[in-house]
Amino acid sequence: MAERIQTYGPAAALLALVAVFAVLSPQFRTLGNLQNLLDAGAVLAVVTIGATYVLILGCIDLSAAGVMGACALAVSLLVANSRTALDLGPLGVLLVVALGAAFGCLSGVLSVGLKVPSFMTTLGVSAIGLGVATVLFAGVQPTVSDPWLLQWASGRWLGFTRLTYLALATVALAWLVQRYTRLGRYALAIGGGEDILRLSGIRVGRYKVAAFTLAGACYGLAAVMITAQLGSGIVQAGAGLSFAAITAAVVGGTQLAGGRGGVAHSMVGVLILTVLANGLVLIGVSPYAQRAVQGVIVVFAVGATLWPLRHRLEVVK
Amino acid sequence: MTTIRATFALLAAGTLLLAACGGTDSTASGGDTQKPDGACKPEQIKLIGQVRNQTNPYEAAWLQGGDEFAKKVNLTQQRLTYDGESAKQQEQIRQVLASGDARCTVLNVLPNGDSDTTPIVKQAQAAGAYLVTQWNKPADLKPADYDRWIAHITYDGKDSGKQIAEALIKAIGGSGGIVALQGILDTAAAKDRFAGLQAALAEHPEVSLLDQQTADFDRAKALTLTKTLLTKHGDAIKGVWAANDDMALGALQALEAAGKSGKVAVVGIDAVPDAVKAVQDGTMTATISSDGPWQGGIGLAMGYCAATGQLNVASVQPRAFYAKQFLVTKDNAPQFATPKVDPAEFECANLFSRVTGPVADG
Repeated sequence: MAERIQTYGPAAALLALVAVFAVLSPQFRTLGNLQNLLDAGAVLAVVTIGATYVLILGCIDLSAAGVMGACALAVSLLVANSRTALDLGPLGVLLVVALGAAFGCLSGVLSVGLKVPSFMTTLGVSAIGLGVATVLFAGVQPTVSDPWLLQWASGRWLGFTRLTYLALATVALAWLVQRYTRLGRYALAIGGGEDILRLSGIRVGRYKVAAFTLAGACYGLAAVMITAQLGSGIVQAGAGLSFAAITAAVVGGTQLAGGRGGVAHSMVGVLILTVLANGLVLIGVSPYAQRAVQGVIVVFAVGATLWPLRHRLEVVK
Repeated sequence: MTTIRATFALLAAGTLLLAACGGTDSTASGGDTQKPDGACKPEQIKLIGQVRNQTNPYEAAWLQGGDEFAKKVNLTQQRLTYDGESAKQQEQIRQVLASGDARCTVLNVLPNGDSDTTPIVKQAQAAGAYLVTQWNKPADLKPADYDRWIAHITYDGKDSGKQIAEALIKAIGGSGGIVALQGILDTAAAKDRFAGLQAALAEHPEVSLLDQQTADFDRAKALTLTKTLLTKHGDAIKGVWAANDDMALGALQALEAAGKSGKVAVVGIDAVPDAVKAVQDGTMTATISSDGPWQGGIGLAMGYCAATGQLNVASVQPRAFYAKQFLVTKDNAPQFATPKVDPAEFECANLFSRVTGPVADG
């Protein structure tokens, strides 16, 4: 029973929120708002996938702000733009995702190799990323002029933006990786009991580095998406997203201690946060009170989900 | 044990990295430290410009203006950036004042927040360095009580909020619904600018404020928020009032995605290059410029003139003042697209030509 509440609790909370907002606001229950909601949640979803891969290991990744800053600047300089003569298009996007992966790999190697807590290494990598972004920025904001990339945010297929489809595809891929590959299954096992896996002869470090690398690639992709939305390379593109992503993951049922949850859980969390931000505006809650209301609902949702488990989780850090 | 050593190594590396980010190329000049006021030779003067970071166009332009003034007097400006961290800002000031001849040092500083100004002023006063602060200071701290704190320059947020509101109201034809995107709600800038909007609305009862929300001065948040507001109010929205250009540009992206670009008027504040370009293209109605390059140059110019004896600090009146700001519209946008400093404004006789009035109880 407790198990089931933990699995389906967040989804039930999401449905309850949707129901309440749908009753209170006629605009909330329109197709236009559904398109808007999925579009608004797309970037956070991709960042949260990255953060989730690291969280299920029992590690934490705070590097999104820096990695996304560097990648946002990089992509806006590699595709057609106002500052450089480059026009790499899709190749530029791939290079930037690779750049993100390289940053993630660095976080992983530092954490595993030096045995430094991931909290510290990822903060350090974030600082490096912001430094790289600052150098690339060089005082002049690059404006993207590549119509192909800008189409990601403005063009629509069947009413939904391409960013929405991209996010859905990423979610599906991440779920498949988690479900059917060795990496995905070992990641959960590492979070559950790293020492046991190590004793059984599995090279844990390798899988940890791979998970951090995947997370970095996700941040790279998210940076491309946000650049397509905003139309220019912005150093602060990822500011605050690390914490938003970790919040979304935890609200959805991925545990900070590792070993539990996963992509599907975290996506429910992303939807909860996105619906909340959207719905509170639509039903007309005062902006001065919105943040507090959001905080109360998030704490309440997590508390309610973990309530049946509180005996088992005797030690909470 | 290895973990501890590794942690230290990483911390050390991090500190080095942060120091490198600061971009300090200190040119410590020796010489005697006891000099009467205003007796520095021009070549002894050390010019320092300190802002949060170089990663936004406004502060980058500020430092650029400082460089241009320094070039005019055959010196170089030492650029300091503190990444929005108050402790780092204080530490940089301490280091700068401890190296070289503090009495011939000129500081043109953007304090991180109101409360950061007090220790900066006290340090500069104690070391005898000339100081100009901009934007932030606590109301009860007055330059007139110090002989080294030449001036505090700021801008009237209520006035800028009102000016863009009036431009917006004019653009929508004097009636209809608008929405407001506020900045971080507990900052003075957000409060003053919004008060300006409300003042303009009070004079135009036929314009209604459909909604007001906060997007924290952030472009990405403004994009999402504007989409939500478009869902909520639809075609009733004739104009978007944003408390800064980043949010205005975010709103513009949302309007573009909704196919309403150019049909809904958008105004902002700051005159960042993207916004000036949007004004030039006609997708944005207006923005306000505080003229970053002028801000970067004028503080150094004031200090330079005081240090060389060409400006008597005690005679400056008012010492804390609002400076002139400029409404950027389609007509004058081209001249703001490539902001230039006018060297004549940095002459010792013209330093205070942009004063529009004293800061209340300043």
